[in-house]
Amino acid sequence: MQHTASNRREFLGHLGSGLGGIALASLVQRESSGAIPPPFAPKARRVIQLFMNGGASQCDLFDYKPQLIAQHGQKFDPGAGVRVEASISTPGALMKSPFEWAQHGQCGRWVSSALPHLAKHVDDMAFLMAMQSVSNVHGPASYLQTSGFLPPGFPSAGAWISYALGSLSDNVPAFVALPDAKGMPYNGRSAFTSGFLPANHQGTVINASAPQPITHLRPPASATHITPVSRTDGLKLLSEMNTAHAGQRPGDSRLQARIESYELAARFQLAAPELLDLTGETTATKNLYGIDEPQTADFGKRCLMARRMIERGVRFVQVWSGQGGGSDNWDNHGHIANELSTAAIRMDQPAAALLTDLKARGLLDDTLLVWTTEFGRMPFSQGGTGRDHNGGTFVSWFAGAGVKPGSAYGQSDEWSWKAAEDITTSYDFHATILHLLGIDHEKLTVRHGGIDRRLTDVSGNVVKSILA
Amino acid sequence: MKPLAIVAALLTSLASPTTAQDRNWALLPLTMPVVPEVEGAATEIDAFVQAELSAAGIASSPMAERAALIRRLSYDLTGLPPTHEEVQAFVSDKDANAYAKLVTRLLESERYGEHWARHWLDIANYADTHGNDHDYARPNAWPYRDYVIQSLNDDKPYTRFVQEQVAGDALFPEDPQATVALGFLAAGPWDHTLMVTVREDTVDHRSAQNLDRDLMVATVMGTFQSLTVHCARCHDHKFDPITQREYYSLQAVFAGVDRADRPFDEDARTQTERTRLLGEKRALQQLDAAILSSPEVVEKVAVWEETLRKREESWVPFEIATVVSIGGATLTRQDDGSWFASGTRPKADTYIVTAHRPAGAIGAIRLEVLPDERLPQSGPGRWDNGNFHLSEFRVFAAPPGTAESAKPLVIARATADHNESATISAAQAIDGDDKSHWGVNPRYGEAHKAIFELKDLAEFPDRTTFTLMLEHQDGVEGHGIGRFRLSASDSVSASSPVFAPIPDKVTTILQVPVGQRTPAQQQALAQAVLLLENEQALAALPAPRLVYAVTRDFPPDGPNFSPAPEPRPIHLLERGELSKPGELVGPGTLACIPELPDALTIAEAGDESQRRAALAHWLTDPRNVLTWRSIVNRVWSYHFGRGLCDTPNDFGKMGGMPSHPELLDWLAIWFRDEAHGSLKALHRLIVSSETWKQSTLTAHGAIIDSDNRLLWRQNRTRLTGEQVRDTMLTLSNHLDLTMGGPSVVQFISRGDATFMPGGNPAFLDYEHFDPDSPAARRRAIYRFLFRTVPDPLMDTLDCPDGGAITSVRNVSTTPLQTFAMLNDAFLIRQCEHIAMRIATAADSPEKQIDAAFQLILLRDAREHERTKFVDYARHHGLANACQLLVNSNEFLHLD
Repeated sequence: MQHTASNRREFLGHLGSGLGGIALASLVQRESSGAIPPPFAPKARRVIQLFMNGGASQCDLFDYKPQLIAQHGQKFDPGAGVRVEASISTPGALMKSPFEWAQHGQCGRWVSSALPHLAKHVDDMAFLMAMQSVSNVHGPASYLQTSGFLPPGFPSAGAWISYALGSLSDNVPAFVALPDAKGMPYNGRSAFTSGFLPANHQGTVINASAPQPITHLRPPASATHITPVSRTDGLKLLSEMNTAHAGQRPGDSRLQARIESYELAARFQLAAPELLDLTGETTATKNLYGIDEPQTADFGKRCLMARRMIERGVRFVQVWSGQGGGSDNWDNHGHIANELSTAAIRMDQPAAALLTDLKARGLLDDTLLVWTTEFGRMPFSQGGTGRDHNGGTFVSWFAGAGVKPGSAYGQSDEWSWKAAEDITTSYDFHATILHLLGIDHEKLTVRHGGIDRRLTDVSGNVVKSILA
Repeated sequence: MKPLAIVAALLTSLASPTTAQDRNWALLPLTMPVVPEVEGAATEIDAFVQAELSAAGIASSPMAERAALIRRLSYDLTGLPPTHEEVQAFVSDKDANAYAKLVTRLLESERYGEHWARHWLDIANYADTHGNDHDYARPNAWPYRDYVIQSLNDDKPYTRFVQEQVAGDALFPEDPQATVALGFLAAGPWDHTLMVTVREDTVDHRSAQNLDRDLMVATVMGTFQSLTVHCARCHDHKFDPITQREYYSLQAVFAGVDRADRPFDEDARTQTERTRLLGEKRALQQLDAAILSSPEVVEKVAVWEETLRKREESWVPFEIATVVSIGGATLTRQDDGSWFASGTRPKADTYIVTAHRPAGAIGAIRLEVLPDERLPQSGPGRWDNGNFHLSEFRVFAAPPGTAESAKPLVIARATADHNESATISAAQAIDGDDKSHWGVNPRYGEAHKAIFELKDLAEFPDRTTFTLMLEHQDGVEGHGIGRFRLSASDSVSASSPVFAPIPDKVTTILQVPVGQRTPAQQQALAQAVLLLENEQALAALPAPRLVYAVTRDFPPDGPNFSPAPEPRPIHLLERGELSKPGELVGPGTLACIPELPDALTIAEAGDESQRRAALAHWLTDPRNVLTWRSIVNRVWSYHFGRGLCDTPNDFGKMGGMPSHPELLDWLAIWFRDEAHGSLKALHRLIVSSETWKQSTLTAHGAIIDSDNRLLWRQNRTRLTGEQVRDTMLTLSNHLDLTMGGPSVVQFISRGDATFMPGGNPAFLDYEHFDPDSPAARRRAIYRFLFRTVPDPLMDTLDCPDGGAITSVRNVSTTPLQTFAMLNDAFLIRQCEHIAMRIATAADSPEKQIDAAFQLILLRDAREHERTKFVDYARHHGLANACQLLVNSNEFLHLD
């Protein structure tokens, strides 16, 4: 039998009287155990993903098109009798970006004036300039970009990575999601679901600004009878009782796993406050992330937390910019100049600070930073000042471990309407992330509903052009 | 695991004869297997199991101790624990039939249906919201949940249970519950944005319709056939004998329906009448010219037109004295008696109209909103796109010459010629809710009218002062009406037959003098009149209840979501891509079932319900080997924690092989022919077997069969989330056993979320929900299941979130689950109640600990346990001690 990760897992899962449900990743896959060498050397050991919820407008941020500026105000006609459709509105006239464009860095990448901070880092980034979705609608498009499938029910990328690699430490979960303070993204908690994978791979949701950031981490305040001592004494007694119980029931590893889960939980409970506590960070660091400014405080705080988490062993951190629903996100139907600049200001400085900070600490060498969104926006207007959804083309960028700095792959057509050359699909996008983590996306499979399911469905090519 | 066990397990799997032929096991003909001769086997099940065990050289395990047995049985059949007293009584019961009596009592308990319905809802993928990006509520999903509970408690024969859920409306039109059963086909997630918001002419919208049918096909064929037919959407099934063409022929079966609220009547006669009228309505939509030109119809139209003329003449404009805009807009009178708004376009506004009219009766008031070139997009609204939002319409009347204040006139019904959607209609202008409104998107630049029928026709003397208020107070800026006119009628009222506003195209025809109308116009008018008459008859029936189900009759929700007048054409899609439609495919099914034809016998192909009826008959045909194998395996899987085939929704080549194929076939035939589809008989047979009653405590077979595929012992299972929750309420004496009804909401929502279309995003807070509120006390089956934001406690205990069909639940052990078991407010509060309950009944610490063990673990505390727990409770209180017991593996697992 070939000892690849998935084979061994399947082997144990099929054999195990009850092994199937336990945290297999921690049994077979933690790096410290050294049990399974990855198929090829990983460049990245961990990932921070910044997800722009709502469809960040590529043609107002990164995708500079002189033709769009030239044809501003004209009716859009792509020629050849091609039908132009918009998802919820009637297509308006072509609309140039209300922001100024300039080239930046050694690589000369165009970035609009909406992102002055990130513009300084283009030489560290690798751009996917022609990403394409198959949906123009938030729900399915978000699922596609988080789980590789349009319908609900499939594990998110973070869950797959948790399943494959586990956490880097015993004290923290492998996959953490940090939703916007304003609210959950589209698809709610399904955006971080483990789908049909065991529940321990779902994203641990941390509501950074809530009084109780992690659900169930502590008893409710009203339960005054529960004290640290009652817990310590109680867990000891419980462990004795459970050990005696398991002793009379040989061969059931699930019972032992539950006993251990109380120990793991206790360690996480001790580690959690430190994970979220930013008081130890210097004023300079906090200023860098914009934590002192109301507009950047929320995203800045969560970016800084993300850095602390990967330092402490979390494998995949997803930081969301923007909530679901009609406002306070990147879904700028009404007024690009007003709505998009608000969203951009909240994100720009903190994201740039994260890059600076990761680099300064040497973390960027083995950490992959990914910036993405579910789709782009139309080059023509909606109602004169906004833009409707556009799955036809959008932009994502990678930075850090294993990524070719200052590179770009693909381009859209002359209006930034549809991806035209070297298109990147969500499958390619996920295949590339997995590749950088040392995982062959075609080998990471789980049988469900009669099909060997993958994060990349039946497609996916690693985008080699942006790899170092 | 010891290396030896691994080797042995490998040997076992190698030893079993798996040939290519065997992988096709589920499609082999069903023939009655010979029951092995096994001495002392109590039931046929035991004969099959013990024969395999002796071949492998493994002894079966002794029967579980009675205390363990009653706990296992009670949870297995009802999802609830026995009481300590019941355990005691059973342990000491000398009656030889004690166990059989216990089985009967539990199967007859209504708790049985509540527990087993949850299994069924896992497969149906039921929840109370749509899922996806906005995840709106489905307030009428629950009647289907109650239908499942009731059907199981009634022990409805399986054939009928299947037929009702696929085509109950067509096969049993006289039984309202058979229509409720159609909730099955609609139970899974549905993308509101794609189906309602996204334009109908986009690829996204058509793709959503395709995936919607795909989910129906996958649900039906996974549930009843244990097949993964949906794997053939893009190409012929890679592993099983299912062609892509067959897949699309199954899609064609469901091509006529959508998911929407479907009316049903609790009264069977009303249901029959409604069915008749709906049939008539469909027939009317396709009436031929001959009928529409027949003398009877022509006469009918003439009478109608005369009545209409009289009614139209009865509208008398109000004599408007003043119109005041409280938002500061300028309102000016126009030559035609209408009023025009200009100037300031305020954020919110109310037009206060003061008017009079000659003495007489008023039954209804008409508000006409009129186009005007001076308005954006020619109006009739003042907003940029020509729309308006009428949040409320109110009318007051003050008698002449008195100091008495004006009294409100009660409006019973509001209708309009055009509504933006079902939830943005004239009805929203009289619902007393400022946030909802009437609007006319996207039909701008034309006249529309709303008719407000008063509850009572009333006389008003001359010089009565009427005050009419047109409110735009829904918080959306600048959405006042641009031009309007108000009139009243004495002959239209809520008590007179409903006169739905006349559609525009009819109005156009009516303007042509009778003699000058073309035959096409005459026929269109006749058809419209007959349809209006049909609509009136439908509206006159007692208000129906609603169930979220599949239907071909529902009010359009906006311009993009409306019913298909006839089944939509289904093309075979090359590689599953909408851009590559191939041949047109009619309704049909699979060819791979032996002796069963793949053609469906459909009485009337244009009637979509006949397509479903034909599939229902095909599914329940005694020759359909999959149907019978599927259900007995599924039921078995819930009794043993694992099926004879461990992939209950996939009997194909990629699924599991059955551990006992002959037993599976024997059960299938027995269930079909002897038990006549009685699920309760099947439960009884299984739980009465020695195989099921075995102890879980042995380990002797692990060397040869570590996985217990041969069933040398019973499997230990963990309580489900629902069982944990219901047990806690049982122990705390807080369980409310009320059955059925709307789902109980066990969270609080932040802000003003309505969970309905047009409302704000949902902020669900489970953490601060009061665990003592009445809603918290119901059984878990009645919880409001919010697809994208599940209850965190239930989620960590592996309750499905309604994202995907769950035929086998995960049983996970995670730190988050541990946190929940230790810190969840509901669990902690129940432990406090349990402690109170114990403290009142027992006075000494020792007795209290004894009582806690008896209540929670259903056994006496052992000496050393008592000592330690008494000491612990002394320091930290009884509630903490109870919570430790609830966290124990002993409590959470069933031996």
